[in-house]
Amino acid sequence: MEADPTPEPMGPTGEQVDSADLVVGLLSESDPNAIAKMCDELRTLPGPLRIAVLHNDQPQSSSPATSETTQGRAFVFFVPSLLPKPEVPSAGVQSMSQTYQSVFAAAEKLQARGCCIIASKLEAATPPWAWRMAQPLFESQADLVLPHYARRKFEGLLNASILAPMMRALYAKRVNNPMGPDFGVSRRLFQQMLAAKATGNRLNSLASLTPTALCQNLQIIEVNFGTRIYPPADWSNMSSVLADVLSPVFVDMEQNAAFWQRTRVSAPLPVVGEPFPLDQDSPAVDTRALVESFQLGNRELQEIWSLVLPPSSLFELRKLSRLPVEQFRLPDELWVRIVYDFALAHRLRTISRDHLLRSMTPLYLGWVASYAHDLTLGGAVSPARRLESLSLAYEAGKSYLVSRWRWPDRFNP
Amino acid sequence: MWEQIKQALVDSTTHFLTRFAHFLPGLAALILALLVSAVVAWILAAVVRRVLASLHFDERLGGWGVASLAEWSPMKSPTRLISRSVGALVMVSGFLVGIAAFDLDWTYLFVQKMFAYIPDVLAALLVLFVGNVLARFLGRSVLIGAVNLNLEYARFLSLGVKWIVIVLAFAMALDHLRIAQGIVELGFGILFGGIALTLALAVGLNAKDLIAKSAERDVKKAPSEAVEDPLRHL
Repeated sequence: MEADPTPEPMGPTGEQVDSADLVVGLLSESDPNAIAKMCDELRTLPGPLRIAVLHNDQPQSSSPATSETTQGRAFVFFVPSLLPKPEVPSAGVQSMSQTYQSVFAAAEKLQARGCCIIASKLEAATPPWAWRMAQPLFESQADLVLPHYARRKFEGLLNASILAPMMRALYAKRVNNPMGPDFGVSRRLFQQMLAAKATGNRLNSLASLTPTALCQNLQIIEVNFGTRIYPPADWSNMSSVLADVLSPVFVDMEQNAAFWQRTRVSAPLPVVGEPFPLDQDSPAVDTRALVESFQLGNRELQEIWSLVLPPSSLFELRKLSRLPVEQFRLPDELWVRIVYDFALAHRLRTISRDHLLRSMTPLYLGWVASYAHDLTLGGAVSPARRLESLSLAYEAGKSYLVSRWRWPDRFNP
Repeated sequence: MWEQIKQALVDSTTHFLTRFAHFLPGLAALILALLVSAVVAWILAAVVRRVLASLHFDERLGGWGVASLAEWSPMKSPTRLISRSVGALVMVSGFLVGIAAFDLDWTYLFVQKMFAYIPDVLAALLVLFVGNVLARFLGRSVLIGAVNLNLEYARFLSLGVKWIVIVLAFAMALDHLRIAQGIVELGFGILFGGIALTLALAVGLNAKDLIAKSAERDVKKAPSEAVEDPLRHL
């Protein structure tokens, strides 16, 4: 059925909207056809659910998504006024976190049983995402529904190199996309996030969602999604991205230290749906610039890195910087120790946190170059195998992290 | 004649002994003031050291963003630096109290001027400290930013920024101390202008090569520009 992309303003007004079973927050700009299609999908959810869709591009009064309502099926309506307008088009983690918090507040106000946040661009191919997110919330009583995107080998590199494997090693659950950005959240979890924020806790609603659910042993389900549209790399702003993303992750790590120091072997999460097969052909990556950035960093940032990394790591980095570009490989064990040492320095505030995270950029680019070499040069391995071995290295290196975390002055290899 | 000489000698000796007798209590007071201030300084320094150690001051200092203070401290311990500074301040105060005890016009004026000068010294020290911290912070920011922009002369830029701020702070401190103000202003103007000119020349001359290299890179890259960068980080 082709839905009308421009919904008519009829039904309850803004003041009359006082409850909903599910709140769906659309944070990205999407075309009306895709939104209408998403609403159609949501309407197929079982039971007479009331679903409020929060979206800025809709008319200012509450209105049903379509004029058609059927007994026994979900009723979808728009509530645009509850969602603040995004301030900047390319919002950072901090700004996104505030928007997430607004969606949680709207869900609480409407006494919803759960909420879904769709931050990825909603193209015609992806409208069922909201439905897939919502289903486990109602049918499996999940507290957090996480996406598992089908990704090409050079997509989501920051997640693949640090976020996902570190989260797996720390919290002993194999989470593929801990920072979403698309989530399904139960009432119990979003109420906790709102309460934590109200008590002045330094929680970041985007970065802390998964660690909070993991630390409280809430039920987490992963849903296999298709491909996500990733923003192109902005090389002039790489260090800001790194600092923006890693800072809340390291803050969470500090707050949850008592929990993750007790966890041991990781376990997979329950998964819904079949994985989407994806063509892994991709254009060649020019790694020369990446390796040169690493070499420049190694030459000029020794003074800063020496405050963070132990002598053994610095020695290995110096050796690596002398390798020819084609032979450049950053061993997983070294990369893992570097990430853990930066997390520790973030906790100890060895230097300004912003300086610390920005100074990590050449190391990260070095890892990207090494990863690209592993996947493309002779004896290439598959991305899945390569990332699995990296995750295992993170798990193996956890004892190093725990030792340094507990005795930062005494334990210095 | 001989009697007159004898009288003059007696008068001179009496005058000297009288002046010396007037001077002795002041000297004794100075020695006593120094001894008392040494004891008070030692006790106060010990108390300050213990209090700061119990507060883990050295460790917390890093968190407040002034970790560089450790590099300027004896045995790399800012706690020692502060406790010794407190001790030295008490000793100097004791010395000034002792000097004032001489009850002479010049000692009174000296002490008065010294006390009037103390706020300037403190302000100068504060300016130097803040300038140093700011210089290190800005130097580091420029270094990291320039490295992340792949600028080959990152270190040079960073050193330039750091020394400009240090020179500025030093000139401001000397101005506060009212030491050769005219020379300081002139010297600072010449030095600051010199640094700016050197930087401009260095960057300009380097930029010539840089632009050439960049253009060369662009020419090399031109055929493959149609190929999209496949890397996606977020």
